[in-house]
Amino acid sequence: MAQTVIDTANHIAAYAAKAARVQVVAAYPITPQTSIVEKIADLVESGEFDAEYIRVESEHSAIAACIGAAAAGVRTFTATAAHGLVLMHEPLHWASGSRLPIVMPVVNRSLGPGWNIWADYTDSMSQRDTGWIQFYCADNQEVFDTIIQAYKLCEDGRVLLPTMICLEAFILSHTYMPVKIPDQEKIDRYLPRYDPKWSLDVTNPLSHANIVSPDWYMEFRFMMHEAMENAKQLIPKIDKDYGNRFGFEYGGLVQKYNCKDADIILLTMGTMGSEAKIAVDNLRREGFNVGSARIRVFRPFPKEEIRKLAENTQMFAIVDRGISFGMEGFLAEETKASLCNQKDQPLIAGFIAGLGGRDVSFRTIEEIVRKSAKWMQNGRIEKETTWVDLRE
Amino acid sequence: MMVKLMIVVPRNRKEMPVTALSIPTVGSAGKTGFWRDFRPVKFELVSPCTYDCPAGNRLPQIFEKIRDGKHEEAGKILLETNPFPSITGRVCPHFCEKNCSRKEFDQAIAIRSIERFLGDSILEMKGESEFHGISMELDKRIGIIGSGPTGLSAGYYLRKLGYKVTIIEREKRLGGMLTYGIPSYRLPKKIVEKELTALTKLGIKTETGKAIGKDVDFEGIRKEFDAVLLATGAWAEKEIGISGEELMISGLGFLKEVSEGLSTPPGETIAVIGGGNVSVDVARTLKRLGAKPTIVYRRTENEMPAINEEIIKAEEDGVAFRFLTQPIDVMETNGKIVIRCVKMRLGEPDASGRRRPIAITDSEFILRFDAAIKATGEKPDVTWIPQMFLNEHGWILADSVTGVVKDNVFAAGDVLSGPATVVGAITAGRRIARSIDQYLRGQEMSPEELLERPMKSAEMNIAHYELRKRECNPVLSPDERTKSLDKEETSGLDLGSVEIEVNRCFSCGYCRACSICWIFCPDCAIDLNENGKPEFDYDYCKGCGICSNECPCGVIMMEREER
Repeated sequence: MAQTVIDTANHIAAYAAKAARVQVVAAYPITPQTSIVEKIADLVESGEFDAEYIRVESEHSAIAACIGAAAAGVRTFTATAAHGLVLMHEPLHWASGSRLPIVMPVVNRSLGPGWNIWADYTDSMSQRDTGWIQFYCADNQEVFDTIIQAYKLCEDGRVLLPTMICLEAFILSHTYMPVKIPDQEKIDRYLPRYDPKWSLDVTNPLSHANIVSPDWYMEFRFMMHEAMENAKQLIPKIDKDYGNRFGFEYGGLVQKYNCKDADIILLTMGTMGSEAKIAVDNLRREGFNVGSARIRVFRPFPKEEIRKLAENTQMFAIVDRGISFGMEGFLAEETKASLCNQKDQPLIAGFIAGLGGRDVSFRTIEEIVRKSAKWMQNGRIEKETTWVDLRE
Repeated sequence: MMVKLMIVVPRNRKEMPVTALSIPTVGSAGKTGFWRDFRPVKFELVSPCTYDCPAGNRLPQIFEKIRDGKHEEAGKILLETNPFPSITGRVCPHFCEKNCSRKEFDQAIAIRSIERFLGDSILEMKGESEFHGISMELDKRIGIIGSGPTGLSAGYYLRKLGYKVTIIEREKRLGGMLTYGIPSYRLPKKIVEKELTALTKLGIKTETGKAIGKDVDFEGIRKEFDAVLLATGAWAEKEIGISGEELMISGLGFLKEVSEGLSTPPGETIAVIGGGNVSVDVARTLKRLGAKPTIVYRRTENEMPAINEEIIKAEEDGVAFRFLTQPIDVMETNGKIVIRCVKMRLGEPDASGRRRPIAITDSEFILRFDAAIKATGEKPDVTWIPQMFLNEHGWILADSVTGVVKDNVFAAGDVLSGPATVVGAITAGRRIARSIDQYLRGQEMSPEELLERPMKSAEMNIAHYELRKRECNPVLSPDERTKSLDKEETSGLDLGSVEIEVNRCFSCGYCRACSICWIFCPDCAIDLNENGKPEFDYDYCKGCGICSNECPCGVIMMEREER
């Protein structure tokens, strides 16, 4: 029997690791991720979770230990946030280049200074080119389900890339929500033991991450890119299959809500997507023809889905919880890039909101839509990027 | 095992591995050993001490056993090359310490003292056949004429092989120079007796008081035994060739008399003519009998053939020296010995490498003493040996390699070479035992193999050692030691000091199981075997050479890899 628990996303992430029968966990605590690894430590200590828990002295070592464990052919898990993630930057490339299917929740938190522990996507966005798959979750149930799905996806021989499960600090990490945890037996049937394509074995030695000459390097890189493209094909299928088995489905790469006839489509990520749905309902009652598309997977980027949405709408209002200094919001950038060379492009307005944990409620989003609707009526946008609720 | 390099080049992306892997499709199974251009190999050479020891004692191997607390095993290794370590451990001029690598670092290892400690600690076990591994009895009988160190050593090694050995001695007591020559303050008689008792216990027969040619017939001996060894040493005194020479007492004769109980000197002031070991032994013995000896020598202290530390001790004892002084005749006047001498100066080096003494014209002078003792060198006494075995100079005709004189007659030691050291005599005994054994088995006779060059300290990494002073044997003060003839003047080292010394040893050319190579190897490509010595894992050794560079014993050499 599936079990419903009411718990924080962090604890739920720990339960998901246990449900996935992860064999090695190496992690270093950092706010707001700490309660994930604390919970895992408890579960391992009590014997409920049969894993090797490696204590390390930094995030760099945590991911290095995971690389070693994954290279030895076991299912591996870690979790981090903010400065911990950016400290991992260099070995993140080693993990993806070695094609090791490590799964890592990233509890999105701002980067200092000023010192701030609240929600912000700049940490994971700054790692978007490391070759890791990136999921962004909207609630605690999705955190659980995406971790299970992520192993299914990244251990697939067509993919073999590590995966980040991004969830916003406090909004999810420390917020209690009811979550349905499926029967372990059903999960085991869905997610069999990891069968590595290659692994380190003392009885049959090999070395990995060795030198590759210019003659071969490009091919290895192309294969990583190809794997991302494969992931893009597999994610909707996995999501659908998971939905059939366990009852939760998230729209594959993009979760769409009332988009079919929408003149304005809100493009958001994470919990802002949940707020956007409420805003859409409220605004539709007011007569606005608006829809919401929550981008669930940022890498691989769902270019094709964005293009399809663009075909039948007049405007994209894109809300980013992060900024690429000197350019614009990450999602706005990628969306615009996806539409390049496309006919009849919609108007695109970018909004920067919620940095450093500032609340982005449905009301904030309603204001964004009202402003966008005016610009749409005028046929042109006044500001390419608007900083929402910014002090004068 | 050579790693076979196998590169399979993928034809397209599908044939490539998912990431950069050294697997059989693109490399050689991750065995990084094939990157190597040089491979470390074990390269053991003899140590300078072993090389310089006339007996070739395998000292680093012996010290290793002492370090491990296995004294009995250490003793057995020592007995393979030297049957009487408690004797050489006292009287040897320790050629082994001359080129000790430790000498340049701080001080040479006290090798002789360790030998003495080990020799003394196994003395009690030496009478047991099992200790020496005598497992079979052979039918062949061997007669050894002479019971000095050569005869005893040959007897020991032949007995060890299972032969029936009889030692025939002219004197009443066994031991030759060990009993009658070397004074007991240097070599206590009880040590010699213990060694002799052990040999008797092993089954060696001895017949004393039997002089060949007088008490027994030489030809009879030849027939009685399957092999006969002439090992009678060098007891005849050389003539100086000056008038009145017969007025001087024989040096060896004097030492022999003292060993037999003589306790009064032949006068108060006594001249001892000569600069060798007999001369110094006589002078120091006279000092202990209350006389005032003066060593008269035609060259200087630097050219004295005697063991240097004995010369120093003689000086400490109060022995007087008259160097560059050559007696030209001797007279007896009013009960005094009057020696007419001439002053000498040193010229160019002669054949012995020492500077030749040249008489200074009109430099004659007179020395007066109560008595004079002559110790100007010895030669073999061959008067009892049939003429057919001698050359025109009166030396025994023997094969220089095998020691064969004729048919079943062999010769070895001082009787062939003239006077040498105890260790030289012991070694001659061991080598002749090999020849006799090969002869009796009907095998082709071959000498022991010569040692290769010794390990040089430049080939070792002595940075791994710490400075530590040499442990010194306690020595009686000149005042104390000159009061007694029999009191041994030098004591041995205790176990603690011996352990310090064996740990100080660099173990040149012989792995001392320090595990430094294992610690330094960056590829974990060295395993230590059950003796703590390295085994190279050539699958993973990249040939960096760090092990070879760090090895404190110099026993790892890098060899070019052949592919």
